[in-house]
This record gives sequence, C-alpha cells and structure tokens, in this order.
Amino acid sequence: MTQSMDYVETPKKYVSDNALVIGGGVAGMQAALDIANQGYKVYLVEKTPSIGGRMAAIDKTFPTLDCSACILTPKLSEVARHPNIELLTYSEVEKATGHEGNFTIKIRRKARYVHEDKCSGCGECAQVCPVEVPAEFEEKIGFRKAIYLPFPQATPAVYTIDMDTCINCKRCAKTCTRGAIDYEMKDKVVQLNVGAIVVATGYKLFDVSVYPRLGYGRYQNVINAMEYERLINAAGPTHGHLIRISDGKTPKDIGFIQCVGARDVNKGVPYCSRVCCMYGVKNAVMAREHDPEAKVTIYYADIRAFGKGFEEFYEMAKTRFGVNFVKGRVGEVVEDSETKDLIIEVEDINTAQLEEVRHDLLVICPGLQPPDGLETIAKVLKLEQSEDGYLDIEDTFSAPVTTTIPGVFTCGCADGPKDIPDSVTAGSAAAMRATIILSKAGAK
Amino acid sequence: MSEVETPRIGVFVCHCGHNIAGVVDVDKVAEVAEDMPYVVFSTHEMFMCADSGQELIRQKIKEHNLNRVVVASCSPRMHEPTFRRVVEEADLNRYLFEQVNLREHVSWCHMRQPVEATEKAIDLVRMSVARAAKLEALPIKKVEVTPRTLVVGSGIAGLTAALDIADRGFEVVIVEKDKVLGGAVAKWTHLFPSDQIGEQVIEPLIDRIMRHEKIEVVRDSKVVNFEGYIGNFEVTIQNNPTGAERTYKVGTVIVATGFEPFRPIGYYGYGESPDVVTLAELQEMPRQYELFKPSDGKPVKKIAFIGCVGSREPGTKGHEHCSRHCCSAVAKAASDLRQRCDEVLVLYQDIRTYGRGHEEMHRLARGRNVIYSKFPPDQKPQVTIRKGKVRLNWFDVLSEDHLQFEPDLLVLASAMVPPSDIEETANLFSLTRSADGFFNPEHIKLAPLTTHTAGIMIAGAAQAAKNAHESAIDASGAAAKAVGLMARGKVEIESTVAQVIPELCSTCYTCVSACPYGAISIDKDAKPQAARVTEAKCHGCGTCAGGCPSSAIVMLHSTDDQILAMVEAYLCTPQEVTGGNA
Amino acid sequence: MMTEAKATIVTENDWEPRIVAYCCNWCSYAGADLAGTSRIQYPPNARILRVNCTGRIKPEFILAALDMGADGVLVSGCHPGDCHYTSGNLKARARWALMEQVIEQAGVNPKRVRLQWASASEAQIFADGVRALVEQVKELGPIVREWK
Repeated sequence: MTQSMDYVETPKKYVSDNALVIGGGVAGMQAALDIANQGYKVYLVEKTPSIGGRMAAIDKTFPTLDCSACILTPKLSEVARHPNIELLTYSEVEKATGHEGNFTIKIRRKARYVHEDKCSGCGECAQVCPVEVPAEFEEKIGFRKAIYLPFPQATPAVYTIDMDTCINCKRCAKTCTRGAIDYEMKDKVVQLNVGAIVVATGYKLFDVSVYPRLGYGRYQNVINAMEYERLINAAGPTHGHLIRISDGKTPKDIGFIQCVGARDVNKGVPYCSRVCCMYGVKNAVMAREHDPEAKVTIYYADIRAFGKGFEEFYEMAKTRFGVNFVKGRVGEVVEDSETKDLIIEVEDINTAQLEEVRHDLLVICPGLQPPDGLETIAKVLKLEQSEDGYLDIEDTFSAPVTTTIPGVFTCGCADGPKDIPDSVTAGSAAAMRATIILSKAGAK
Repeated sequence: MSEVETPRIGVFVCHCGHNIAGVVDVDKVAEVAEDMPYVVFSTHEMFMCADSGQELIRQKIKEHNLNRVVVASCSPRMHEPTFRRVVEEADLNRYLFEQVNLREHVSWCHMRQPVEATEKAIDLVRMSVARAAKLEALPIKKVEVTPRTLVVGSGIAGLTAALDIADRGFEVVIVEKDKVLGGAVAKWTHLFPSDQIGEQVIEPLIDRIMRHEKIEVVRDSKVVNFEGYIGNFEVTIQNNPTGAERTYKVGTVIVATGFEPFRPIGYYGYGESPDVVTLAELQEMPRQYELFKPSDGKPVKKIAFIGCVGSREPGTKGHEHCSRHCCSAVAKAASDLRQRCDEVLVLYQDIRTYGRGHEEMHRLARGRNVIYSKFPPDQKPQVTIRKGKVRLNWFDVLSEDHLQFEPDLLVLASAMVPPSDIEETANLFSLTRSADGFFNPEHIKLAPLTTHTAGIMIAGAAQAAKNAHESAIDASGAAAKAVGLMARGKVEIESTVAQVIPELCSTCYTCVSACPYGAISIDKDAKPQAARVTEAKCHGCGTCAGGCPSSAIVMLHSTDDQILAMVEAYLCTPQEVTGGNA
Repeated sequence: MMTEAKATIVTENDWEPRIVAYCCNWCSYAGADLAGTSRIQYPPNARILRVNCTGRIKPEFILAALDMGADGVLVSGCHPGDCHYTSGNLKARARWALMEQVIEQAGVNPKRVRLQWASASEAQIFADGVRALVEQVKELGPIVREWK
C-alpha cells in the first residue's frame, strides 16, 4: 500500500470505522474520547482492572499543583459513560492481523471472578475478605484485600479477585447480595474488527536498586518518587502523613536525588526522561507544604524546566518555597544504623566541594522506561522499537504519532517519556490521524 | 421555570481528600448548611466528582425531590460542567446547579487558619444557597456547526492542522499575514533531531496544501474582524496590499500564530557588531558549506554560542520562561558546524536537551569536541567589541577559572517571544494570555489545546515556546478538537444571555453603546420602542445590565436579584461568633 | 440599621473587616484560583462573588454591600485591553470614578472600595490586592452608616 502505482485500490481496503485504543492512562483516554467524539466506536483496552493509569496514583501535578485525582476523575467518568466507548479493562491484546482500515484483533478478557454487570462497587465483599496483601496501587506500602478495587475512583467501579492470593473461603460470595461473584469464571477471548489502532501503553519507573550505592531496597528510609507520591496522598496508606518507613517519624531533612536511571549510557538509558526534574521540584515543594519547618534539598544535574510555566515554578520553588538546590552528583549513601538516617557524599559542582550531608529521608527520582509488555504488543502489531525500547515513529515532523505500521498510532509515553500535557496532546493527535483512516470506511 | 415552585435545596460538601477537609471543618459546614433557608438535605463526602459522589447527588435529588443543588468543592472553572451534567442526568435543569469554591478560594489560600477558613466556607455556602433559591431553569440551546475551520498562521502547526482537517473531509481556510507560507520552520537550517533542513519538511506540506481541494489559502492578508459564537463565526479577512475584504463563515478556529525570535538589543554586543547574531539569524545565513562572517566575508573558523538570552530572567515580564527549543537547537547547530569550524564553544546555564534524540545530539556535539562551558546565572559572560573583534570573557563553573575566547561569530540563542501583534490577535479572538505572553489554554494539564472561548483552539508556539516536532503534534491534536465539533454537527451553547423588559426600557441607548458585540439595538417598530437583544450575538458579559439605569435588562443566570441575595446572605445573617479570632 | 447593630456588638479587638469581592470570571476569579493552586496565603476576610465581567457590576451592587454592612468592597477584573468581552472592563472603569464620588457624598470613605486589575496569571497581584484592602479597612475601622 505504500507504492502509489496505478493499481486500483481494492474496494474492500477500508472496512471498519471502529478504533482500538490500547492503554487506559491519560493519553489513551484522551485518544479514545477524541475519536468517540467524532461519532466512531472505540474499544479501550486496559490490562489492569481500572483505567486511569499512572496519573491516578500521582498526588499533585506540576506546575500548578492541581491535585491529580481532582482533575483526572471527571475524565474517568467521561470515558466510562461515553456512548461510543466500550471499556475492556483487565484485558490484553493477544493477536492482530490485517492492515490499515481492516484489522482483526483478538483480546483476552481475563477472568475477574466478579461479573461487571452485577457488581455495584459497594465494597461489602472486601470488608469480609480475610486476606491482606501489599497493594500495587500503593506501591506496596499499603494493603488491599484479595478481592479489591485498586483505588476509590477506579473505573469501572467493579471488584476483582486476585486468585493468586485468594484462599477460597467464599466469604465474599456469601456476602454479595447481587450474586456478582463467580469463582468458576474463565478467561474469554473476543474478536474485534477495527480500522485503526492507537498504542498508549505508558511507562514504568526505572528500577533504582540497579544502583546499589544509593541504598534503595537496603535502607528503609530511601524511597522512590512513586512511593513518595503515595505517602503524601490524602487517600494513600498514611492518609497523607509523610513519615519515615523505619520509625513512623515525620522527616525533618529530606533529600531528593534527581536523574537516577536517566542520561546514563551504561545502564541502557541514554535519554533524558523529561519529567523527573519537574516532578522532583514539585515533590520538594509539597514536602515544604506538608511541613514548613522541614529542610528540603534537591541534588540535580541540570534542572530541565522547559514546559509552559515550568521555569516559573522552579523559580518559585527556590524563592517562595525555600527549596535548596544543589548541583551535584550523589556518591555513596550510608545508613546510620542507630538513627536510620542517611549520610550521603555529594560533590557540589558549583563550589567544587566534596561534602558529607545527613538526611532523615531520601527520595530517589527515577527516570522512565518502556513498560513490561510493550515488547509483546510491538511483536503482535509488528511495530519497530528503537534501541531504548520505545516505539519508533514514522517521521519526526510529518508523522510524529504514526508508528512504522500504517494505521497504527502512538501517544503518551509509548514512543518516549512525556509529561501530562504532552501526553494528552499526543493522544488528541493520534486520534486525529486515526479518524482520517476511519472516515474512509464509511460516510461519517 | 415555574416561579411558584418552592426551592428544595441539597448541599453537598466535598472533602477533596485532604485538600479541603485538611483545613476546613467540612462536618461543621454541612451541619450549618442544614439550617439554611430552603435546604432540605445536606451532607459531606470524600470526592464529590468521583462516580460515587456523582451517584450520591443523583440519588438524593430523587430521594428528597431536590430542585436545586449546591456543591461546595473546587473551582467551578474546572468542575461546573461535570456537576451540571450530573444534575441533568437526574432530570434537573443544569442552570439549577450552583458551585461553591472551597478549595482554591479557601483551604488552599488559608492553610494555617482553619477557624477562619471554616467560617469563610460557611459564609460562601450560605451565599450560594441564597443564590440557588433564586436560580431559574433556562432552555438548553443547540446550534449547527458550520463545517469549515479557519486556521490562522501557516507555520508547521497551521499547515499540519489544515491538512489533517481537510484529509478528514472538512473545509479549511488558512490565512497567513506573510507573502509566503511556512513560518519559522521554513527558514530553519539546523532542524533537529533529524538531519533535515526546514524547507525539506515544509515544502511537501505546502505542495499538498496547494493541491488540496478542501483548502483555501489566503496569503498576505489578515483577519480584521471576527464575530459570532461556536459553530457560527463570521470572519473578515483583509488583503494587505489591496485592502480588499472578504467574509467567511466558519464553525471552528485554530490559532497557530507562532512566535518571534527575540531581538536581544543590549545583550552581549548584539547590534554593536554584525558578527553577533541570533540563533534564528544564523539559520538564515546562506546555506553553503562554509560560513562567512557578516562583517568582512571571511570564513568563520571560531564560533561561540550563548544560551538563555532573554529567557529565564526572573522578574522580567515576558522573559521569565524557558524557551524550550534553544538548548537542543544549539546542540544540533554546534555539532553540525563543528565539522566546518576549528573551534565551537557553547556557554550555558543548564543544558535542557530533554526530547527524544536530543540527549544523543548533545552527546554527539561533545563527541565532536564542541566545548561546553557553564557560567553562573548571576555572572553572565562579558562581551567586548574592539576594532571589530568580538571578545568573550566569562567564569567557567567547572574549572573555577576566568576564561577568554575571540570568536569570529557569536551566536545568541535568543528567547521565543510572542509575535508583536499578539495583543491584536488576543482581542480579536477573545483569548487570554499567560505570564509568558503566549495564549492561555483552557487547562494547562488536561486541556492544553482548547481555550476559554468555545470553538477556538490553539496550536504550536501560539501556546508556549516549543519546537517543530511538538508543534506538529499540537496541530493534529487541535485539529481533532475542531473536527470533533464539526463531525457532531450540532453543539450546545450557553443560554446565559441578556433579556430586555420592554415595559421598563426608556430607550436611552446606554446598553446599545455598552455592548461590545453590537448585539443590542433599539426596535423602532415596537410600540413603545424598546431595546432588543440579538441572542446569537450576545456573549453574556452583562455590561448592558450593569449600565442600564432603568434595570430594564435581565442578565440571565446573573440577575440583580441573584447577586444581591448573595451579598445579603453574607452580611445580614446574624452570626453566633463574629470575626475570626486569630 | 443592620450596620449599626453590627457595629455595636463587636468590640475593637475581635473585629475583622468583612469584604465583598466582585471578580470577573475570566481574569480575576481565575487569578484567585491560581493563588489557591500556588498556595499563596492571604487574609481570609474577602468573600468572592463571580460575575462574568466587571462590566456587569452595577454601582448599586457596591452601594448595597456597604449599606448592608460590608467594611470594604473589592472589584477585580481583567486589565484594560485584555477583557474577555473586549471592553466590558472599560465600562466598569468609567463608572468607577462616578461611583467613588457617590460614595464620598454618602459619607463613606472611598478608601473602603478598591478597583484593581489582576489577570488569570497574576495570582500574587490578586492576593496582594485583598491584603491591601483589608489593611486599609482595618485602619479605618468598622463601617458606621452615616448616610441618609
């Protein structure tokens, strides 16, 4: 189809005007909405039990400090109640054949063991469930039951049984007055016909334990940024009280370490992850917000405050919020075995001094990486990935949201790290390019 | 609608997690609200905007037969549409909903004064309850959307948006004030991260634009008049040389007016020597293998760049922002030019090569022995020009040394600033601007492409400093918004317009001259004569009602009665405790 | 009437000014929102009323507020030239001069009212404006109705 010879196009080329969006984070949701708003049917596939993605777990957003849940929640319900969007949560794409205008997709709908049409989300089941396991949504700092809703605003508001930890006591089934629970439920495979596909699979955080010198995983008071987000979140495991994991005390001297697992050729992450500087600054500001007495220091390489309002926010962090910025790389982190404080070695580049500094909490701000599973999706859809694992795009300028396969588009972090506004914008852009194809199928 | 109906008000107070409840005693607010006039139900809830909160509202409307709903949560600028939809789902007219802002206006700005904050919250709820009692249902109006988009500007954003919309099957009119299409990108030599020059990117787009049957290109022209409302705009375009005017009807607008490179007069010898140029001027120098000095035409062997010129200046209005593209643009230009020059030096504050492939360009530049040197932000490099020679003195942070360099050409990476006529554009399309001078989006995180004027989108550098790749993505995104409106064919519009009570009108013409939209005229055929509002032209500002000496104009949903009821509720309610004891 | 009753029951020490603030939706109300999201702290004395445009504000709204016992009234809108409705704020400005005279003739110190321009991005200017009016009104003391 790339050769534009004199062949007459087969009349059947553009068959379906339905779209498939893979990934229910903020980018995928935006793409789905912008396609659906043009009158086309959208299947939104999400592998976890709820849409919302990473943004649902973030506490506040930069540069305006809007709370993430507050601005995301209406989007969740807009997607859920859109007449043209069909949500397929807890589902994964298994197989794809066909071409632009006419793809056949097989989707595995994993068994939730709870019927979506019967569950009202009342939560009685979780109350009687005797099993408690670390909650993924809470970065395993908090707990959930074996039958659970990942977070209060989860969409759809339908419970899921985690069969790996379920002890089969059947208390939930006895409690559920709607008879929504079904232990015999099996995975189902459904087949869809779509004309265009948008890949919005998001990212995963770099695993900072790869740098043993920073002490993550060894010292309790060294945490990563996502754990920090949950600790300062009012709906999080500590109800928004920032505490040290070791002793539950309020930290008084917090250090943030930037650029971990980013711009490092040796660790396979040569690129800049683009969001860490700003989320680091935002988290530092929030630390001062939570406790104006706390001392807060950021150790950075460059502060990349490049987006709209970012530099102004960075300036505000320095002047109004009194965050202390130190340009320098952090060397070895050592734990004081008695107090569980952390002593770090840092070279301040501006003064060329090697210093030893004590903090009672260290937050590591990792870079982003392609999520586990992107490779599988890329294989299924025959998409090319660059060396760092992100999807390749067809052209930087003329086709910035098109993958190497016509009819398959990308947005959000699937083709490289992005912040929320850039992800949302790319979601809309992918929707635009997708609908150009869908419009060829019918008279829409 | 029926004026005899007794108000039955429901009050819903939101915790917003910890955001409101952490400061304001939401329990108490809900409790006090119970005793307010016409309130039949009052409660508080963790997240009113969540599905469970929404369901609660719908359920209580039915259960208590509520005919007015007050939600005390965040700013209505964010969630009024959400809650209006919720009450509509429970068969209540959307204009019978009222929102109280307890977060942005209370808990977040009085964080250390919980007592006073709670008192303020109660007052605000009381005021809104009083207003709610006087709210009236208004008809929901739908209008057709003209299936044509006006694209203002023909840079990479304008061209891309136009092509997407046309490819999707809708008509486009592009207006460009310049004689040629292509904007800044067309002139750019060292485009990044790919090895293309601007023309290679822009030419194919222009080529397709010119051949596209759905696109009309209007060059060397500008918009001189803009009227109407979403779906039904009327735009007058004037040809620059001839002055001839033409009017188009369009349903949506994409403003893609781009940026201007800042001319840094007074910075680093700019304007004092022809060998000091901006990064944008470097792009327009003749594209031949060797670079020649503008002063004497000799080949450039030594070149220096300075970053952040006119950007990142705290306290300088319009220059506080980071210009986003320059660090990567400099890395690309420096690494390209290093192959033709003996020495290339880059002086920087921070290096912000953030995008995909940008860090690699930066690394490539260093690999090619481009010298990067960091200067302290409070100690800018000094440029002296003596006998035509440019001399650079600066303090290098890493070596802690004062250094000197005499480049043949000094390139200043100057800021991206809004075009000089942006104020005109802002007024024409009723757009607001942020501190960086560029246009404000509807919401900085989740609605970056739409504006507060329904039907008008922004794309590319019109919204903020950004590079060509990002502008192209913006353009497709903005196109999706425009197409979304046009594909639906019909959209709802606000019913909040002005109405005249003819019996009270004294035909004094105050309203006629006050109306910014020419929406009011005196109906001379009526008996007696009276002012008349053309609803389609009314934007609902209420300036006519504010000026009418006879109180003959009713501003729907913002009536005198509704406003004064709020004032009265605040000031004339006996209070148990007065003031806020510190 | 209401005013005098009010003025008698409060003592000097626990008196806090009561301020009615009329803000236009597009600039100053948004600026106040931004003050919140930026966590700019300012005195909690003002109660904001949202109107679409400062042009909507009838002089009576200001007089009525003072009559009902407000110690101060703030009107905050878009900068001249930046009005969302092109020129509504210019009308507000034109009315203001007259309004100040009327207030003075009624025996109220015009320092109790304040007209300011604060755009959607000028959170600090908005907050500073509230603070300035509160401080000014504190110097003047509680309003005592002397007119009629």
